[in-house]
Amino acid sequence: MYTSRKVTTLDSLCVTRVSRSCWHALDDDRVIGRAEVSRRPDGRPFLSIDVWRDDAFGRLAEAMLPVLPKPLYTVVDERDADLTSQWCAAGFSVRRREWECLIPTSPAEPSDVPVISPEEEPLSELDRVIREEVEASVGWQEMPAELLGPGVVDPSKYAVATKSGRYVGLIRVTQVQRLPRIGLIAVCADERRRGVARALLGHALGSLHDRGIETASAELNESNAAALALFDGFGARRVGSNLELVLR
Amino acid sequence: MDKTGIEVEGIVVECLRDATFRVELANGHRVLAHISGKIRRNYIKIMPFDRVLLELSPYDLDRGRILFRYRT
Repeated sequence: MYTSRKVTTLDSLCVTRVSRSCWHALDDDRVIGRAEVSRRPDGRPFLSIDVWRDDAFGRLAEAMLPVLPKPLYTVVDERDADLTSQWCAAGFSVRRREWECLIPTSPAEPSDVPVISPEEEPLSELDRVIREEVEASVGWQEMPAELLGPGVVDPSKYAVATKSGRYVGLIRVTQVQRLPRIGLIAVCADERRRGVARALLGHALGSLHDRGIETASAELNESNAAALALFDGFGARRVGSNLELVLR
Repeated sequence: MDKTGIEVEGIVVECLRDATFRVELANGHRVLAHISGKIRRNYIKIMPFDRVLLELSPYDLDRGRILFRYRT
């Protein structure tokens, strides 16, 4: 058990570290702010600070930031200008922007690239190959959290593109009961720029359209020009953005 | 013993433009809510009709923070 330790006191507000990963801001023993740190599957530490009073944010940041190893990360909704400015005041800067997009579904177009439901073993092998290729370039850490850790690849969430029987690209679609989310499109390095990603996305949107679903969602890294162009080609509409902030 | 906020369940009725949500509680009261850092950190999407767990502000019972989204 972590020994509770008062970190700072001024006026009626004080900050207490209540565990290895959690701090509380207290006003007359009432918790008015909470700060936490946890590691994503790729090992990077992500912070969150939630407060009911603006002055508690800075106090929590002052208490926790000096004792945590850098770099530290957090995510903010860019529309939340107050929260973004509070993190920036604490020394964080923008590392990358991710657009939230809505994509209208439409009947699948004919394609030269066959797209099929995968079998588990070759899908896992394709997943492994693509992870290694991505890690050698931009890095897998920019992928959604559910994809970060190595694990069992669930074939029911995927479709794959094939060439001469070989799996050359994959698409992952989840949360079909609510707003379906296109969580990943990836193509083997030696098969890029040949319409594979377009075939995969067209197939996924066509399948959703056939089931009566009108819209899907996706998050696109602002620096990924190829992905932006691909989704723009299917009529994607940007409806929001998240900022990943870093303190080095 | 530290006192934490009141936690209540509600249904999201509207997503507003400034990253806030209008949530209706079981008694019909409507609360303006942000999402918690933990939800944001895990890229969990909040949408209308989601059933959520809220913590109410100790300073203003018309404001809250979404702590958890229940599976539907």
